[in-house]
Amino acid sequence: MGSLLKIHELTKIFPGQVALDEVDLEIETGSTHALVGQNGSGKSTLIKVLCGFHQPTGESSASYYPQSIMDTPSLDEPVELRLGDGKAAANAGIRFVHQDLGLVDSFNAIENISMGVGYTKRFGGAIDWRADRKRAEEGLATLGFPDIDVNIPVGLLAPSQKTAVAIARALHDWDKGASLLVLDEPTASLPGADVERLFTAVRRLQEKGVAILYVSHHLDEVFEIADTATILRDGKRIATLPINELNHDKMIELMIGHTLVKRQQASREFIGSEKGLIIQGLTGGTLAGIDLHVEPGEIVGVAGIMGSGREMLVPLITGQTPSDQGAVAVDGLQIQNYSPKSAINAGMAFLSADRYSQGVIAIQSVRNNLTLSDVRRNWNSFKLDHKAEKVEADQWIEKLDVKTPTSETPIGSLSGGNQQKVLFGRSLRLEPSVLVLDEPTRGIDVGAKEEIHQLVDQASKDNAAVLVASTDTDELVRLSHRVVVMVNGQISEELTGDQMTVENIERAQLQSQEQKTKVGAHGNA
Amino acid sequence: METPETSATEDGNDLGSSPGDSIWSRLGFDRFSALYVLVAFFIFFGITEDSFLMWNGSLEFVLTDKIVVLMLALAFLVPLTTEAFDLSIGAIAALALLIVNKIALETDLPQGLGALIAIGACLVIGWVNGFIVVKLRVNSFIATLGMSQVVAAIIRNIHDGGQINGELSKTYRSFGKGDIFAFDWPGTGSEIALPWYFLYGLIITVIVYYILEHTPTGRHMFATGGNPEAARLSGINTDRLTWGSLVGSAALAGFAGLVYSWKVGIYTTSFGAPLLFPAVAAVFFGASQLRGRPNVWGTVIAVYTLAFGIKGIGLRYPREISWIQPMFEGLTLLIAVAIASRQLIIKVQKRKIDKADLENGDDHTEANSA
Repeated sequence: MGSLLKIHELTKIFPGQVALDEVDLEIETGSTHALVGQNGSGKSTLIKVLCGFHQPTGESSASYYPQSIMDTPSLDEPVELRLGDGKAAANAGIRFVHQDLGLVDSFNAIENISMGVGYTKRFGGAIDWRADRKRAEEGLATLGFPDIDVNIPVGLLAPSQKTAVAIARALHDWDKGASLLVLDEPTASLPGADVERLFTAVRRLQEKGVAILYVSHHLDEVFEIADTATILRDGKRIATLPINELNHDKMIELMIGHTLVKRQQASREFIGSEKGLIIQGLTGGTLAGIDLHVEPGEIVGVAGIMGSGREMLVPLITGQTPSDQGAVAVDGLQIQNYSPKSAINAGMAFLSADRYSQGVIAIQSVRNNLTLSDVRRNWNSFKLDHKAEKVEADQWIEKLDVKTPTSETPIGSLSGGNQQKVLFGRSLRLEPSVLVLDEPTRGIDVGAKEEIHQLVDQASKDNAAVLVASTDTDELVRLSHRVVVMVNGQISEELTGDQMTVENIERAQLQSQEQKTKVGAHGNA
Repeated sequence: METPETSATEDGNDLGSSPGDSIWSRLGFDRFSALYVLVAFFIFFGITEDSFLMWNGSLEFVLTDKIVVLMLALAFLVPLTTEAFDLSIGAIAALALLIVNKIALETDLPQGLGALIAIGACLVIGWVNGFIVVKLRVNSFIATLGMSQVVAAIIRNIHDGGQINGELSKTYRSFGKGDIFAFDWPGTGSEIALPWYFLYGLIITVIVYYILEHTPTGRHMFATGGNPEAARLSGINTDRLTWGSLVGSAALAGFAGLVYSWKVGIYTTSFGAPLLFPAVAAVFFGASQLRGRPNVWGTVIAVYTLAFGIKGIGLRYPREISWIQPMFEGLTLLIAVAIASRQLIIKVQKRKIDKADLENGDDHTEANSA
């Protein structure tokens, strides 16, 4: 394999900050190259320079080796690539799929793909929808998604299917020379099982010989899909290594500059308390009747693939989505007139899975976001005491180690991990007897993740009953005293102590899936 | 558990406290631009137009005349904090004015009671607005646009156009129009006086300010406007707030009608809907002031900056004012919203970047370069 793209000493300086410091990057033809690093390490800046959003600072150079995957053999002569020029990157065969995908949810797949690459026109300028449909269907089939209904709005598709549509759009002309696909955090908003589906698409591309630059927070994915990894830290390239010379811990060490201490919960006996969180026969959506008791001080993890009911559990417990049936009690008292408000009043606090759309009010200050669930606390029976509120906010900022200039900074300008810490503060401030968390560290980098985990530990030490639903199996093992695995809307298995391992949880999720398939096959016969 | 290096990077992100190094931000021009414009108007028209700085030349007229617009602007502002548009406020104000006149003309009821009935009718319409927006989930823009036409129809049904003079009693009028104080300005012979409705307007303005900025309810309203789902999941009854804000909006609009009934008395078809525009313009212009979001004092400043500007232009170009006024108001709205959306675009970019969990350094530059 020869080189496809070489970047030499790329530097990008923002006022007061060196984002990239003479970074070299070399991508081989047909390889899958992972770019990893914490937030602020420079990986997104690198992508942005590559796609032409940012201009490099000073002397940087890059070259590529033009090639067409389908027919002509690669040329040996490198061609200079002007960095910071989107058009030049496109001509060099570099294609991008950004994290937010850039799809219009109300349009169907055909329209979305055509919108990006231009409509096929018939005589007179009318759109030739038939040709466009063919292009969309073929593109998606090539990626291993022939089952996507190209007629329905993409907003109704599963997250992995949406990503596939975005990839199909980016690669619509790969036979004309697209040679490198940049996937920027493609799985950040994908539930676990969807990641696997996305990987089938990535593997298809690998077979076709398309090189991939894969940017991700999820190291498991990197190990699964990449053959080479470049690790950035603080704008510097720390290492570029073949993936088989790395392991999980080694990579984290390179990313954060020191080793990460692994923790796990001490085992814990079920004490038979009647307090905490008691769920009886909860039904709604994909959830088909759940009974669960989380005791004060206990952390219960909930695992399950997409569609298993795991994703519905927290919305139903918190009253975000109305349930069809069942009851939830906090400290022995059943919650009436179920709504988020009544759940909070009963002593529950919760974090939703989607921090951006259901958690933060991006344009408002850290202070306002922090105190939102109980603004009244700083009401001095005449007016809102802004001063006292600021003092309180500063205390929480210190306690949670939130990296923010002041309590008045809009929360939207903080990093994801820091936003999540503020939202934790919003919940912990209520001193809840029950804490319900959905994907508490999704899209958060390794260092901040451990800090969040320690906050969860502390909440349980403060005797809160904690429920954590997560697609991150490592996280469940790290946090939980016991893990329940959901299949077909019900709890299929409960794992504790030595049984509670990543392998066992994933086996339980998938094994049950096989059983389901078998049952289905049997039923059809 | 973060490395010192990481902290350093994150500390580099000081967007929120972006120290205003430029002269523009040090003078607060970004936050007080309307005040500067207002001062410029006073200097320019004060020098060029003799009567501009005279109490009975324009000061009294503008201060009192614009109370109606100010009340309507607040009526638009209150639901806007929850991200609901109320376009029916002009029509509601007209309905209040008409009811007061109609009751005075055709019944023997005390006129004060007529005013209360008028406000009651406005509350009912506000309640229906809320019902349509909250329960039927109709976009507030559409719901209140439709409602404004329904109210216009009700007004026509009650009355066929033209004007209607309820011959409001002196007692009734003096409740609003009487002077709070009146004295002669020494040496000039001109009388300085302000009517009660000016004071009522001021009190209502302070109350709205107090509720929006100094109570949990106000905080909840802005949270609802900022991210309704996040607000709801934080235990805020967003539906009730939106609904309540539309009822409050209708009450304020009705009060604007009452102010007009004290001030002028007669119902005319030119009152009402045409006032929607200056009110909306003032709120959006005001949103570009002080806090960078809709706010009470920004709205007050905007109302009076626009009013004094128009007054000055009217003195200087008395014949052209009929077209200059809408042009001035229209351009102000466009420019103000363009500035506000530019700020919004920056915010959205920031949010997008945040959503993608991109590096903080990127935020930094965009904020500075934009």
